[in-house]
Amino acid sequence: MSASSIAVVILLVVGVAIELACCVGVLVMRDAHDKLHYIGPASILGPIAVAGAIVIRESLSQAGVKAIITAVLLIIANPVLTHATGRALYIRRRDQLEPEREVG
Amino acid sequence: MNEWLIAATVLLLGLVPCGIVMMRGTIVEALVALQMAGVLETVTFLLLAEGYHRGPFFDLALALALLALAGGLVFARMLERWV
Repeated sequence: MSASSIAVVILLVVGVAIELACCVGVLVMRDAHDKLHYIGPASILGPIAVAGAIVIRESLSQAGVKAIITAVLLIIANPVLTHATGRALYIRRRDQLEPEREVG
Repeated sequence: MNEWLIAATVLLLGLVPCGIVMMRGTIVEALVALQMAGVLETVTFLLLAEGYHRGPFFDLALALALLALAGGLVFARMLERWV
């Protein structure tokens, strides 16, 4: 077994483990805000590990470049989606976007 | 069955907790689980494309990543205003 094959297997195991751990986090956390935190590692670390494994196997061929683009897209999309979801939750709870002003 | 297909199969197990949250949680928690499922499916498509050595399958992952972003934003906007 070559060094690149070992690296691919390690990256795959790490990527899949991160994704599954984040799924369990989404399941067991109590609040939507708490659950939101677990999308971050799943959208950043997992795709980086899998795309890294694909690049090691395929180098910078068409498949490797597409895997990198997909991982970058997930990394960019994650904070946007998390912010939009957190904002929606905030507005649903308070019926307004502005912070509550103190009276008096 | 190579290591890529095994990883894709194992990764699909992550959809089970997402489905449970979608069915039993509040509507915002369901949106969070939907976003997590979108990430899982995108990575699964990457693994399947490499496992089957099909170049065009990578386009599915790319399209799904884009559409999951658009869909998540639409759902979030809808939840903050109407539902």
